[in-house]
Order: sequence, then structure tokens, then C-alpha cells
Amino acid sequence: CTHGHAGCQLLSLADLFDRVIQHSARMHGLSNDLHSEFEQYFLPSKNQIGRINRKCHTSNILTPNGKENAQRLAREELTEVILKLLLAWRDPLSQFHQSIAHHEDFNSFSSNKALEMSDMVHELKNGVEKVAEKMQLLGMISNSLGGLSSAEALLAGTSSGESHAMSDYELLHCFRRDSNKVQNYLKILKCRIVPEHGC
Amino acid sequence: IFADVLESARYSPPGKPKLTGCRSPEKETFTCWWEPGSNGGLPTNYSLFYRKENSDTVYECPDYHTAGKNSCFFNKNDTSIWVNYNITVVATNALGSNISDPVDVDVVYIVQPHTPENVTVVVHTVDNDDPFLLVRWEPPRKADTRSGWITLVYELRVKLEKEDKWEEHFAGQQKQFNIFSPHSGEVYMVQVRCKPDHGFWSEWSSTAYVKVPDYIQKERSMWIL
Repeated sequence: CTHGHAGCQLLSLADLFDRVIQHSARMHGLSNDLHSEFEQYFLPSKNQIGRINRKCHTSNILTPNGKENAQRLAREELTEVILKLLLAWRDPLSQFHQSIAHHEDFNSFSSNKALEMSDMVHELKNGVEKVAEKMQLLGMISNSLGGLSSAEALLAGTSSGESHAMSDYELLHCFRRDSNKVQNYLKILKCRIVPEHGC
Repeated sequence: IFADVLESARYSPPGKPKLTGCRSPEKETFTCWWEPGSNGGLPTNYSLFYRKENSDTVYECPDYHTAGKNSCFFNKNDTSIWVNYNITVVATNALGSNISDPVDVDVVYIVQPHTPENVTVVVHTVDNDDPFLLVRWEPPRKADTRSGWITLVYELRVKLEKEDKWEEHFAGQQKQFNIFSPHSGEVYMVQVRCKPDHGFWSEWSSTAYVKVPDYIQKERSMWIL
């Protein structure tokens, strides 16, 4: 859709937000489904679950873990946290899908979900970047979305190495959590930027 | 000797306590409850301990009082989201102690909001159209939906006062709902409940009542004529 093209309507910022929020909800839903499939079929003893105490590969990304903390972050910082999380999951999720696709215990249904999840994290990152551009264009956040490219380089170094060591279950546990963070931060950001739209 | 045997039969270390669950009404605080086991015939003390994910420090329950008997309340400062809490309860009496099975919780997944508030239902008529019921409500006061921290979806149920069966309607994130074609001259009861995207339904709200005026009779009689 290009500007001025017939039938091309520019989406409002609120609409864009609703789209990425819906997208993130769907993504989190998929991770939830896969996570419970794992618990049901691959972990006969639930007691093992509590023992998992390894750090997620994204634990080096500082994320607010309560309402006040999230509200204290500047809009730019919150946007940046969301983008960093999404970026950090791109490679691990595509590896996860490949690992599941070759796993004979998995049905094609789970494999499809893993593929969809992997695609979605990519699309969602693009979507949030669009939202960020629009916010910048409208002067709602400053143009200094500081150092995402350097963060990209940093994460590319740490994430791939560590994610290999993560088991599929641990990975799902971490992604379920991070995708929920993304969804929650997006909602907070939306309510700060366009509070009149369903907040 | 006989007395000693009696004594030892009558008294014992406490039975195993059981953590029955944890709930958060607004994703900002939470409470856990437990059921005590047998007290072994002796005064028995219960303590709740928790350890947060990726930390070895064990803390004791910060507040045994606010949420009532056999409970532990975690206020805003003690509540983190996206962090697993590993929780156990220890029962202790003079003869020994017993520890519950541990429970792992992430507060994000144990949210059960309070009921929606100010539920009202009125008969609404536009011009000469048939009346419909307009139900409105507000989110529970404690749930901060305005900031986007928590999102609630709503469900309402409606029934004729004289009947037993409720009819349920899903309202999504809306805070009002229209019910068309109500029975003329009848009294309706309406209740609403809410749920966060990953959590549990609240209880049903208190009931709002409405009496529908007689409206069909007039029109019908016109038709018959």
C-alpha cells in the first residue's frame, strides 16, 4: 500500500497498536499451547519443572517486573525493551522450529505452531518498528531510539551461543514469559500514547 | 510406663500441611492459602517460606494477618511479575515439624479479579422501536485497566426472574451490552463477571433487576384487528 494509492487508507496509531497487540496475544497464546503440550507429553513428573532455574538467554535485557517500574520507563525505553526482546528471539525460535520438525515425538500440529511462532516474532518486530516510526513522525517519542543496532550486534553474539544449550522446554518457558512481557508492555505503551482508545 | 505410652499415642509431630493455592486480584499483590494437617494434639505453628527464581535467599512470609487465617499476603513491594516464587509451608510443634509440597507460581498466571462493579440494567427505547435492555458495568476498582497493566474481558448472564435457566453472553472488552427482544412485562436479572487474558473468572457480580413494560400487547392487538 503506497501513499495516495486508491483504496489505501492510512492506519491510525491506535489501529496500529491494536494490530501489534493482537499479534502479540496470538503469539503468546501459541507459546502457552506449546508449553502445556510439553508439560503434558514430555514431562511425566511435574516436580522437575520447579527445578528449572536456569537463566533465560534474554535475562541480560533489563525488563520492568511490576507496574510502577514499567510506568517509570520513558516511552522510548519501553519501546526499546520490546524491540530488544523480539529481536533476541528471532534466531532461537527458528532453531526451535527446526529442532521440533526433526523430533519424531512431535506431531505436525506442534511443528506448525512452532513455525508460526517463529514467523510471528519476525512480523511483530516489523510491526512494532512501524509503530515506533509513526510515533516518531508524530513527535510522540524522540528520534533517539538509542543504539538498537548496537544492541543487535550484542545480542547476536550472546543469544545464539547460549540458546543451543537451552533445552526445548526451557526455551518455551522463557519465550512464554517474554512474549507475555511484550504483550503487556505494548498495552502499557498504547495506553500512554493513545489513552482514549479502549484504556 | 503406662502413662508414657498413652502420652506418646496421644501426641505426635504435626501432619503435612497443604498449599491450596495462590491468587492475585490485580497483578500487583497476591495471597497464598494453606490447609493445616493434623496438629498432633499440640500447639502447632505454621510458617510460609518462599524463594524467588534464580536466588538462593529464603524469605519468610511478610504478612500473615491481612488475608486472614492460614494465609500469607504479599503486598506491592513483595510482588514481582514474571518471576517464579517457590513456596512451602512448615508446620512445627514440640515433637517435630513437617513440610508441605512446594508450589511454584508466576503471578501473571494466578490472576482472579474482583467482580465488576456498578452493574446496571435499564429498558431503552428508541422512537417507536421495541425496547431493549441496556446493561452497563465498571471494572473492579482495584484492577488498573486504564494504564494497560491489566486487560479484562467480560461475560454476562441474564434470566427471567421466574425461570431457572441463565443465558450467557460474552461481551469481550466492552463495558456495556444490549439485549434485544425482552419479554414484555417480565422482570429480568443480570449479573456480570470478568477475567484477565490469562487467568481466572471472577465471581458473578451482585444482581441487577429490571422490569420490562408491557409493550407487545398493544401492537399485537393492532395486528389482530
